[in-house]
Amino acid sequence: MERGVSVKKFAATAVLLTILAATNPVSAAEQLVLIVSVDSKVQQLDSQEVRKLFLGLTVTHSGDRLRPVLNEADVRVKEIFLQNIVSMSETTYDRSVLRLALIQGQVKPVAYNDIGLLIRAVVADPTAVSYAWAKDVAHDSRIKVLRVLWYD
Amino acid sequence: MPNFCLREVLLCVVLSLPWTNPAFAQHDHSSSDFEVFVAAEAFHGTGQTHSGDADPWIDADLVFGFTKHQFRVFGEYYITPDERDLERFQMGFEFVPETVFWIGRFHQPGSAWNTEHHHGQYLQTGITRPYIERWEDEHGIIPQHITGALFESRQSMGEDGAIQISGGVGAAPALSDEGLDAISLIGDNPGRHRLSVTGRLAYLPQYVGASGIGLLFGHDDLSVSSTHTLGSLQSNDAKVTLYGAYIDWTADPWRIVATNYYVDVALTQIARNESFMSGYLQVERQLPRGFTVFGRVEDSARMQKSRYVALFDDAGGEIVIALRRQALGVRWDFTRRQALTVETSHIVSLNQKSNELRAQWSAAFP
Repeated sequence: MERGVSVKKFAATAVLLTILAATNPVSAAEQLVLIVSVDSKVQQLDSQEVRKLFLGLTVTHSGDRLRPVLNEADVRVKEIFLQNIVSMSETTYDRSVLRLALIQGQVKPVAYNDIGLLIRAVVADPTAVSYAWAKDVAHDSRIKVLRVLWYD
Repeated sequence: MPNFCLREVLLCVVLSLPWTNPAFAQHDHSSSDFEVFVAAEAFHGTGQTHSGDADPWIDADLVFGFTKHQFRVFGEYYITPDERDLERFQMGFEFVPETVFWIGRFHQPGSAWNTEHHHGQYLQTGITRPYIERWEDEHGIIPQHITGALFESRQSMGEDGAIQISGGVGAAPALSDEGLDAISLIGDNPGRHRLSVTGRLAYLPQYVGASGIGLLFGHDDLSVSSTHTLGSLQSNDAKVTLYGAYIDWTADPWRIVATNYYVDVALTQIARNESFMSGYLQVERQLPRGFTVFGRVEDSARMQKSRYVALFDDAGGEIVIALRRQALGVRWDFTRRQALTVETSHIVSLNQKSNELRAQWSAAFP
């Protein structure tokens, strides 16, 4: 009898947690990860390289020039990108990228506002580097996760 | 606006549209981009000031870049009601990241202001540029457009900083009745063009930042191609050598830009060479809601005694060479990539004083 009550409590708690996790997008398990194609030669990039890359400066790996791909599919991802990856306000970031375009014709990072299209773009180009929620790429064998950029 | 060819702008935009498609670049490891900087300006001045070439009522600056592996192509096409010019066109090879060897027409690296702002008004906080930094076709007295080879490198130094080195060698402008004539890539090139050597050495406290402090150098051998200029200068050749130092420092919410140049002009057929100094200090302060206030002081020494500087002054008495200027203004970035700016300035020129008021809308697209 006691065992039955215990099982019911456990099941109720599990159901409650599942509902909470489903309704609250900022769950404890949220992670923003740095991603490349599984065909990419890149094994790791440090924070400074990631910052240079997304500011439009040249970053190479094994002789290949890496191509930054911005994830604008989610407002929260964009906020985390600005705060934790390039450490700039949106205006300052925009001006920095424009400035490099004006000074030496540096190409702005390509932006996607659809996660499906972004993943397709990364898969198609072994030099592409982007970032996404871990849950969006967790079971995608075409994507290689380099590291966690941010977690909550 | 009979001379303003809007279709050229539209043509460039249309031609550039495929480049902005990410899919275009996905499979061949190339990438390309374009930006259009647009500005429109209203002007009022006292005395004999006029807006002139320096202040077209509307202008568009098209910047395009293409990168494939280590090869890069880059250009800047500037359009006003009176002017259409390929200001920069450079083809480069990037040996290692951020070390590029370019050939083509470029802005000489010895200018602190122009290598930062070029022809795009939107990224320049104020409306006007300092007189000493004016372009050749605005009665500028320092050669700015060089055609030849340019080497640029930025290398890490310390934990976050970097050293920036730029050096250019090429053909200098020629000295004509209208001022300095730089080599045009799409027009006629009258006059002889001699050697230009320019450079910059700078320390950047942050590799990815815009702040920097550095030294500037330029040496231009200018041939004199007209009898009128020859008579005024009493020399068939002018060797202009520039030594400068600059600081461009941002510590939010403040920004300071200061530059000082010492310019030596060697003339061949008179015994005494000339020299003068010119500098400026601009201070900017960001305020809430997208506002920025700024002030700039420009000053010079011995410019009024220079036979070389006098060549560039307008015969009609209009102000083109300022000895001193104080400017004050406010800019409002009211939405993404668009700003409104108001600037007032007091100018002391070679032969008169005047006041100016300007209002400008500037933007960057897309």
